[in-house]
Amino acid sequence: MIQLQQLCRTFFAGDQAVHALDHIDLVIARGEYLSVMGPSGSGKSTLLNILGLLDGPNSGTYRLGGVETTTLSEESRAGLRRQQIGFVFQSYHLIARLSAWENIELPLVLAGEPPSSRRSKVNAIVQRLGLSERATHAPHQLSGGQRQRVAIGRAIIMKPQLILADEPTGNLDSVSGGEVIALLEELNREGITLLVVTHDDAIGARAQRRLKMLDGRVHADSGPAQPLPGADSPTHLPEREVDARP
Amino acid sequence: MRALDLFNFNLQVIYRQPMRSAMLLVAIAIGVIAINLLTGLGEGGKRYVLGEFDFLGKNVLIILPGKKETTGGMPPVTGETPRDLTLQDAAALKRLPMVSDVAPLIAGKAQVSRDASNREAFTVGTNRAFFRVRQLHIASGKALPSLPLDQAEAVCILGPTLRRELFGTQPALGEWVRAGDRRFRVIGILQPEGQGLGFDMNEVMIIPVASAQALFNQQGLFRIFVELRSLDNLAGSRAMLTNLLRERHGGEEDVTLITQDSLISAFAGILDVMTLAVAGIAAISMLVAGILIMNVTLITVSQRTEEIGLLKALGAPESTVRLIFLAEAGMMASCGAVFGLVISNILLFVARTVYPAIAFTTPAWAQIGSLLLALLTALLFALLPAQKAARLAPLEALQNKRAA
Amino acid sequence: MRGQDAFKLVWSSVAHSLSKSLLTALGIAIGITAVTLLTAIGGGIEQYVLNQFSQFGTRIIAVHPGKNVTHGVGGLLSTVRPLSIADADSLRALSGVEQVVGVVQGTGTIEAAQRQRTSDILGVGAQMPEAWRFKLSLGQFLPDDESGRSRPYAVLGYTLRQELFGNQNPLGEFIRVGGLRFRVIGVIEQKGQMLGFDMDDIVYIPVDQALQMFNREGLMEIDVTFSETSSSAAVAQAITRQLTERHGDEDFTLTTQDEMLDTLSNVLSVLTAGVAALGAISLVVGAVGIATILTTTVRERTGEIGLLRALGSSQGQVLGLFLGEAVVIALLGGLMGIVLLGIILVGFSLVVPNLPFLISPMYLIIALLVAATIGLLAGVIPARSAARLNPVDALRAE
Repeated sequence: MIQLQQLCRTFFAGDQAVHALDHIDLVIARGEYLSVMGPSGSGKSTLLNILGLLDGPNSGTYRLGGVETTTLSEESRAGLRRQQIGFVFQSYHLIARLSAWENIELPLVLAGEPPSSRRSKVNAIVQRLGLSERATHAPHQLSGGQRQRVAIGRAIIMKPQLILADEPTGNLDSVSGGEVIALLEELNREGITLLVVTHDDAIGARAQRRLKMLDGRVHADSGPAQPLPGADSPTHLPEREVDARP
Repeated sequence: MRALDLFNFNLQVIYRQPMRSAMLLVAIAIGVIAINLLTGLGEGGKRYVLGEFDFLGKNVLIILPGKKETTGGMPPVTGETPRDLTLQDAAALKRLPMVSDVAPLIAGKAQVSRDASNREAFTVGTNRAFFRVRQLHIASGKALPSLPLDQAEAVCILGPTLRRELFGTQPALGEWVRAGDRRFRVIGILQPEGQGLGFDMNEVMIIPVASAQALFNQQGLFRIFVELRSLDNLAGSRAMLTNLLRERHGGEEDVTLITQDSLISAFAGILDVMTLAVAGIAAISMLVAGILIMNVTLITVSQRTEEIGLLKALGAPESTVRLIFLAEAGMMASCGAVFGLVISNILLFVARTVYPAIAFTTPAWAQIGSLLLALLTALLFALLPAQKAARLAPLEALQNKRAA
Repeated sequence: MRGQDAFKLVWSSVAHSLSKSLLTALGIAIGITAVTLLTAIGGGIEQYVLNQFSQFGTRIIAVHPGKNVTHGVGGLLSTVRPLSIADADSLRALSGVEQVVGVVQGTGTIEAAQRQRTSDILGVGAQMPEAWRFKLSLGQFLPDDESGRSRPYAVLGYTLRQELFGNQNPLGEFIRVGGLRFRVIGVIEQKGQMLGFDMDDIVYIPVDQALQMFNREGLMEIDVTFSETSSSAAVAQAITRQLTERHGDEDFTLTTQDEMLDTLSNVLSVLTAGVAALGAISLVVGAVGIATILTTTVRERTGEIGLLRALGSSQGQVLGLFLGEAVVIALLGGLMGIVLLGIILVGFSLVVPNLPFLISPMYLIIALLVAATIGLLAGVIPARSAARLNPVDALRAE
């Protein structure tokens, strides 16, 4: 589903080039559950942003679902984000003036869905996430765990193929954090590809496939796991050893 | 807090939000520019118009036939009365001791032609004194000769435009032109002068008054200009002139006597009111700028709630907090106003360069006034938000966290 | 995104910080009120002046002696060839012409038994009341005597009658006008002021008597009215032909009423536009206000912009949302301005009734359109900066 080849992303701090991503090759199959770990500045957030089409590489290719994304217009990239990718952020990024219900509805609104079909979709998600009683509350009236659940609801309302979670439990206590991870894993079992960036070893260890990043390179990769039952079988891509130059 | 510290403290704040500060500056500057520019235009216009009326010496009175009892308004312009102002009246006026000279005037339009060129021109019948009283200058040739008032002579002086239209580039002096059914020899050409109000002296033909009486077949004078020896006892002089004419007109006061000053002050009054009205309309924009200052200060206060809490926790009294926000608004307004003053003066300078005839300058009261108005507006509108900031409870302010 | 949803999203933002939005809108409101009010006053004055002029009727042509390029000054000055009463009479026979009135104007002393007043004297033809639409409140107007043999009759204006006779009946009394004896045979009803000129402080005498009194050869003006069925152009042409034939030259000037009204209306419209433009300066400041506040908003909501982009909004959509916000605030300002205008107008009408304001629904629609346009323009810079935010940076901002 995801195929990165020789992907580079370089930032400039003054006249010094910082290689946030340095010739990354990575293949992720449909339905995989990956954790990405690494110290600050190792490039994991940059990787997430590029996978989420929020940022583009300086060189290399990125194919998402068979589509080469690096040559797409901003408009089409926005379309892909809308249809295929769900984001979950550490700081939730809920819009303060909208209720929980409206925050979940927002992607449908942006996509121009008619109100009638929106209502049933949002209601189904709200129910599933156990937020029915809190649906009309504003974000500041919710606990951290509830806020993150709203954010997850918003991420999955468009039925994306891929969820990118950036430190989803970073602002949560361990109980709510555990609940949020459980929810994400439940979604993964239903077939959504899940990629979690985290500092937390315990959470990182839960993933079937674990990437460790260092200095813009994939330092260690536990390798693709067996496809999960129920998920689409991944396209047959040549198995490759991940470049693990020191 | 010391003034300099306050200044530096606020400078940091202003500097941190360059876009917003710049726009605020622009808003205030527009108000100041509008007021100054419009007052400047008004003043320039006023001086120009008054200058147009200033073609007569200060000691010249104008006598027109006809009188209405409604006084205070503009003098009557039409000159038909049962009894004309005559050349004899003019001669009698000249004999008065305080009168130094008298210029009678008959004006009309006549068909003026030379060979094939032909046009209708204002034709003025008058005497030699008129040239001095009206401050007309001869470019070439000479002015009307000194003649007895009732003696006609077939000579004329042409305005430069009329001369060009009749003669083109050919010499005009000594040539003959035809006006109506008479012929006049050109003896002088006037210097070009700015377009006046009403009479354009560039297009005029000047002939002796007695010749004009014959040309127009009319005895009555249109105006008499009376030059006084001195301006002392103006009221007394006026009374004597009026008395003389009343006696000569069978005891009836049927003339209107105006001084240039009365004419000018009537106009100046109207123009001042107009300038004020225009500046007042411009000042509305200052009100809008004031509302913007209030809005921005309110936003600043809410953005800096934590900072206010901190200041208070550090022991800043309410008055200091209020001062900080008032000073910020005041600083912005002063900068904007000075900026606006500079721009408006540059624009007026450009206007003066392009139209040197008109003295576009903003009077000092408008410059200082607009500056003070900007400052006052800023302080007034910032007072409410500053008050709000000053009254914040320190603990709540410190704990203020914006909802995510 | 659906329009309705976009509006809801924009509105939620406007309503969320209502005091800020309303203050911003107030700036626009003041500008809109200023412009509309000034335009309304200008329009009202224009209407008033045109009404003043057309009270004499619109089917009227004035003939002045002398051919001049610039209008207006002609009648004051002597000209070589005068317009005679015979010239005026010759116009009566032209087709389409209804009334012909020769006019000579001057000032002089008017004396009654006890009182005396210096005032305007108007020598006019007998058809003046019909031509100028004047009505008599007492007696009758001057009879249509043969030129040169008119009887010494006079008709008084309202003020003059009050001044000279008070409440006494002036009919049949003798007065002296410019030293000559006239008999009062009528009084004109009150006409009021026209542009500062008191039309009631006038005595009307036969035009040939006036010519004699003022020692004039020619008329100052001939007013010709024409029937509904003929056009001003046709009548003007007929007059020109007739007088040119009599004088051998076109040495007179025709002013048709519609021509004059057009000129006047143009001048006044330009003045109104100028004054309204001055008021528009405050609209500019209001626009700067919108831009400033929106810039702050963009700063405050950087995180939200990043989120919208992550959720798949295009740059265009973000641009649209912020432009929409600017337009909504400006429209709010437009509406507030109209309300403010209403309050001011009601206030004025209570304090000074009969002020010549002219407000048409068109103005209000234009005011709203102008407001929306201003919002759009003012929103461009902040909205573009919002749309151009790098989503990655924007998400990190919070």
